[in-house]
Amino acid sequence: MSETEPFVGIDLGTTNSVVGTVIDGVPRVIANRIGQILTPSVVAVSKNGKRLVGNIAKRQAITNAENSVFAAKRLIGRRWGSKEIEDARRILPYQLVPGPEGHDVRVVLGGRTFAIPEVSAMVLAELKADAEAFFGRRVAKAVVTVPAYFNDGQRQATKDAGRIAGLDVLRIINEPTSAALAYGFGKQMEKKVVVFDLGGGTFDVSVLDIGKSVYDVVAVGGDTYLGGEDFDRRIMDWLTFSFAKENQGIDLRQDTMALQRLRDAAEKAKIELSAAQNAAIHLPFLAAAGEGKAALHLAKQLAREKLEELTKDLVDRCIQVTERTLRDAGIRPAQVGEVLLVGGMTRVPRIQQAVKQFFGREPSRGVHPEEVVALGAAIQAHALLYPQKDREVLLLDVTPQNLGIMVVGGYFATIIPKNTTVPTSQTHTFTTVQDQQTSVRIAVLQGGSEKAIENELLGEFILDGIRAARRGEVEIEVAFDISADGIVAVAARDVDTGQRQSITVTATSGLTENELRRILDENLDELLERKQSGELERLRERAQAMIEEIEGLTPQVRDALDRSHYGKDALQKAEGVVSRARAAIASQDLQQMAASEEQLDRTVQLFKGLAGGAPVPGGEA
Amino acid sequence: MTTVAELLDQGVKAYTRGQAEEAERCWRECLELEPENERARAYLRQLRGDSAPRPEVRAASAGSFAAKPARSAPPASRPAEKGRAPAPPRAEPKPVAPAAVRGPGPQAAGAQGPGYAKSPWDDGPALAATIVLDPGPGSGLELDIVAEKSDLKPLVPERRPGPAAAKSDVDVWMEGARELFALGDFSGSLEMIEKILRVDPDHAEARAYLRQNEATLIAMYESKLGPLASVPRLAISGEEVMWLNLDHRAGFLLAQVDGIVSYEELFSLSGLPRLDTARILATLLAEGVIR
Repeated sequence: MSETEPFVGIDLGTTNSVVGTVIDGVPRVIANRIGQILTPSVVAVSKNGKRLVGNIAKRQAITNAENSVFAAKRLIGRRWGSKEIEDARRILPYQLVPGPEGHDVRVVLGGRTFAIPEVSAMVLAELKADAEAFFGRRVAKAVVTVPAYFNDGQRQATKDAGRIAGLDVLRIINEPTSAALAYGFGKQMEKKVVVFDLGGGTFDVSVLDIGKSVYDVVAVGGDTYLGGEDFDRRIMDWLTFSFAKENQGIDLRQDTMALQRLRDAAEKAKIELSAAQNAAIHLPFLAAAGEGKAALHLAKQLAREKLEELTKDLVDRCIQVTERTLRDAGIRPAQVGEVLLVGGMTRVPRIQQAVKQFFGREPSRGVHPEEVVALGAAIQAHALLYPQKDREVLLLDVTPQNLGIMVVGGYFATIIPKNTTVPTSQTHTFTTVQDQQTSVRIAVLQGGSEKAIENELLGEFILDGIRAARRGEVEIEVAFDISADGIVAVAARDVDTGQRQSITVTATSGLTENELRRILDENLDELLERKQSGELERLRERAQAMIEEIEGLTPQVRDALDRSHYGKDALQKAEGVVSRARAAIASQDLQQMAASEEQLDRTVQLFKGLAGGAPVPGGEA
Repeated sequence: MTTVAELLDQGVKAYTRGQAEEAERCWRECLELEPENERARAYLRQLRGDSAPRPEVRAASAGSFAAKPARSAPPASRPAEKGRAPAPPRAEPKPVAPAAVRGPGPQAAGAQGPGYAKSPWDDGPALAATIVLDPGPGSGLELDIVAEKSDLKPLVPERRPGPAAAKSDVDVWMEGARELFALGDFSGSLEMIEKILRVDPDHAEARAYLRQNEATLIAMYESKLGPLASVPRLAISGEEVMWLNLDHRAGFLLAQVDGIVSYEELFSLSGLPRLDTARILATLLAEGVIR
């Protein structure tokens, strides 16, 4: 293993996340502590008050739906009241509330309110812990990926999540760019690459222009509510209806435990059908049949053909979205030089066929579709930390959305169009709209709508002291400047008088610096609490082991005492000690348990002595 | 197949319901399975020798419910026995004001006739202490108000004819719950308590017993599981699983046993109350379904 400081590349997905690194020049993914590549991006507080992250959280997400947060990525960096949040509120089983200032979104989890970056941070912290277990030492440096369409606020929120998780986020890069990096494109080629990314919950299509080590995202499209989970749901529906038909109309959808098992089984069957023609689904004791009756089993065979029939419209939707994205970008399928498949769902044979049919070419499959984004991020982290002249890869950040100002009539005037490579600067000249107008309000916006109100307000300022004149006579020059770090500076100047006013817009996640500091402090407390909880667990295990030992020795001790004239109350005292220890375990009181440990230990020593034939020291237990 | 312990338990429950014949049948069946079972023998001896019988168990001497206080002292006041947990705290009646009302207390125990053996509960304090009321000018003794304020509602006779029967049931169940708790049958006691809470969700004593029964049972089942950080595995083949006799909740938990998740994690992902999860896992372990 390399002796350099460990670093990671993280694909923080909507449904699953993956962490990778580069060792001795070879990119590789890091399996989590249960040996799996994918860590579900799910965070929960279980009914017994425990915070769960990843696989365990996913496995109880249906039975404990109101306290299981999934798809936090759909919410991160969004404004309260935005269309995306309103859509999410309609379908999510957990509760969303506005932040203290009313701008950002918070989630209620286990009776506590969390900012979305805090939730994402829990997933990142889990991946960080997996990487630390792999390296055997602390890991801090990371590159994290986000969808190409994420705006500055969403990117900043992802960065904040990294900071909360204790990561130093070196860079945020676009997922399709990361995938292309993992394929090693860009060295000696110049072509258009389409990244077809069908994940668990979202579908993204991106067109990249790659040339001379420059990766340029020229178009993005997709559907944020289309993914593997929709395919799973079709299988679940099929199973539910078949079961109802065979069992006098018993509706499994009313039983969360049955639904949880159905979901797990549906996902497993779908994965199996990518390699086999048939999948067996056996779920014994799935549902209650009524008072006094044995629980009902579910046993079905699902054929690949049937799955394709059930999900045909979903596959068609993927192709329609791809077609629309290419059309918007003015690219014909034949112009595409390479198609990369990303996301576990692209293993599904029917999807591969549909992609091949649409583009008229075989898609590339050199890298595992689940791993490719994390591997690209790891490669980028490696390049940033250990730059090598001959291997330099220049990743161009582009503006994810149009940037501009509000103009008369409440319209949005774009000054820097989306997908413009940064750093960049642009200048536009506007005129006054009223006679004798001496001031003008400059509202800086980001978004894709013609109406100013539908876009995101990044900041605003007033330019006053402008020359009083008839409308249209005064010219105001508005200049936008975006640095390589994504900081937007906007200046407005009266061309005649030179009067100038400016503003610098830094992307914000909705969390203030003070809030971030508070969260970081709380995380420290949480860490201490978890250490205490570890201590509790250690004491409990030790107490239980000693109780078992005492109970095991009791018959021998009783025999020994029967033969003796003293120490008759030893057994009674020992029972008292065991009873107190059990009560301490039940109460989970650290102090009581520590006190019990000492008493139990003395009792064990005494019993061992008695069982071995040693004299009773006054019957003390 | 019903086990000896279950038969004993069924017998006690039948007995507390006043079904002496059913109780006798259970205990006899128990002796058929295990002829030396001392508890079953003691129960039957007591049943034959007493027309309004109560089973005699271990250290507890035979006593008659007819003779002991209506609200007996908590089991905690009894000497500690193996497997017996401390009794739940009792609901303290709130002092109200002058004028005395006698609640059922230690004095009631004095009503015992000479033919009765001493009950283990007789030594304990009465549940309801003396309450002093201030009738105030022009007001009478409002028993309902006192009852509300002092959490003694179950002791106060209901005036309405309908719920009177329910109240009487509650008393019988509460007695049964106390008895079973004292016998170390925490599951049986819990069952009675749950019945009471369905009728009277605010029953203070029942709530206290609920907490204590649950804590004790959880500790008992968990101790059977061993260290909670250990990882259970399926001990039988998938085909054999189909032949088990499980309910859907046990089926759900069994489906989560994958050789990766620990007992503690199973508690978290089961979605069931901790007691139910512990009980199901302990049963699966005892029956050799998991190891």
